[in-house]
Amino acid sequence: MIELEKLTKRFGQRLAVDELSMTIRPGEIYGLLGHNGAGKSTTIGMILGQVWPTSGSAKVCGHEVSAHRRQALQQVGAIFESPQFYDYLSGWRNLEILATYTARTPASRIREVIDWVGLTGREQSIVKTYSHGMRARLALAQALLPNPQLLILDEPSDGLDPEGIHEMRQTVRRLHKELGLTILFSSHLLNEVEQLCTRIAVLSQGRKVFEGTVTDARSTQTWVRLRTDNFLRAAQLLFDAKLIVEHRDGKLIRLAPDSGTAAIARKLVESGFEVHEIFTEEQTLEDFYLSLMKAHPGSVRSP
Amino acid sequence: MNFLLQLRNELWKLFGKKRTYIGFAMFLLTQNIVSIVFRFTRASRFIERLLEGNGYLVEPYISTLTLATVMLFPIAGFLLPLYVSLVGGDLVAKEAEDGTLRMILARPVSRSRLIFLKWLAGAIFSILLVVTLGVFGLVFARLWFHWGGLFVWIPDQNIFSIFESAEGLKAYGIAHLMLVTQAVSIMSAAFMFGCFNVKPAVATILALSFVFVNFILQNIPYFRDFQNWFFTYHLNLWQFMFVQPIPWWRVGASMSVLFGFNLTFLVIGLTAFQVRDIKS
Repeated sequence: MIELEKLTKRFGQRLAVDELSMTIRPGEIYGLLGHNGAGKSTTIGMILGQVWPTSGSAKVCGHEVSAHRRQALQQVGAIFESPQFYDYLSGWRNLEILATYTARTPASRIREVIDWVGLTGREQSIVKTYSHGMRARLALAQALLPNPQLLILDEPSDGLDPEGIHEMRQTVRRLHKELGLTILFSSHLLNEVEQLCTRIAVLSQGRKVFEGTVTDARSTQTWVRLRTDNFLRAAQLLFDAKLIVEHRDGKLIRLAPDSGTAAIARKLVESGFEVHEIFTEEQTLEDFYLSLMKAHPGSVRSP
Repeated sequence: MNFLLQLRNELWKLFGKKRTYIGFAMFLLTQNIVSIVFRFTRASRFIERLLEGNGYLVEPYISTLTLATVMLFPIAGFLLPLYVSLVGGDLVAKEAEDGTLRMILARPVSRSRLIFLKWLAGAIFSILLVVTLGVFGLVFARLWFHWGGLFVWIPDQNIFSIFESAEGLKAYGIAHLMLVTQAVSIMSAAFMFGCFNVKPAVATILALSFVFVNFILQNIPYFRDFQNWFFTYHLNLWQFMFVQPIPWWRVGASMSVLFGFNLTFLVIGLTAFQVRDIKS
């Protein structure tokens, strides 16, 4: 559905996106993760033809965006952080205006999406009177108008309260399940991405530093909690025996590729250590993200 | 068909916001002030002396048409450039500033089409504004003055004209048609600046600066021989509609130059808009 090939964007001296390649397959909820300024919005801008790439290519629905933007975006809907509307016009009129930039849209279709997002009864009120949540729903309605196959959500939960974030999450699930949409979801809210996405890519300083499933991410660096009578000596022993690759916090060890907790326990007992506790820590996406950022200097800001 | 729908949308956006009407009250105020001043002070004494000195009766020409034409000078000289610059500068730059442009450009509409639609909406606005001002000018002048002939004196252009009421109304109408060229041209200049990555106020200020710099240069004696190179020299076409007979060759030449200016503004604006990145 989306194919990026060595996509690069430079703003003057600053490299915003650096040779980004990725493929989003139909039916996926693909999460684009990264701190503010990592290049997520610039990437989305290039996918939508709003930002011109310095080099590389972006294809949407099989069409090169730079050359065939019209065809590429025919069945694409997008929502941006803090969606903006013509506040002095009604919700209905806003939808009418935005719809015609794609194609002639019958009133029945506008009515249908208004019902779908739950704005029925307020569509004739001017947008200025809408709450933040209602604006988010209107944004969703405009994105759904062209009957999209692909939905691009750029920080859609930004500025929403916990209830609004929950509602947005439920809506994204519904869109995926009921309408079968492919969704590109950009966020710096790890919890959102963890709960929604089938696959993620992590951007840092414009470069992709990870791509895979959330499960892949969690299991990339598994830490094992170890409690013995002398952690440091035990850790040194295991390190010398090449059973672990590192340790931290006086309680965590990271296993070597061919190692396992059974081998660790055996080695320690044989060497006269008392093993009080040994178990694999469930790594969260946050742990993974922070360790990834640590591994890529310069990406010091938290998500 | 979709083009017309999109144009209708641009007009909805333009005429739907209060900002579009803010300056309009100033026009109406100016027209009323001119009417009242001429009615209740001795401001018309100068016109009376001019008429008497040239052997004309005063009474038929201190009229609705004469006053409505007098109103045109402050409007065409100051208010109209300011107001159309405000609107023209807003058309693209305000949408970029508000973030609605990003919503539009997430859709499969080409940038060139969008720019053309917006310029067309600005041109329609300028036409409607001038026509409305012409009608209001007559209405407000009629409140205080009788219907009669038209007397016009524009010393800068060596214009001293007397019209009977029917001919005067015709000249007044054609003058407004020509005033449209001024309004559209200044709007286009502001529109062009608005296509760059600037705030709406900057686009307006740049357009007004462009007009004023042209005006100042045009009036420097050193440049007297090169007057026709300046933008502002061609903006006062409406004044020539009060000349008998109308110098159509001069009107045609200026209209061609203005057409060139407008086309250039549009092409520069379109190019700037085409190559820029639209970001939040």
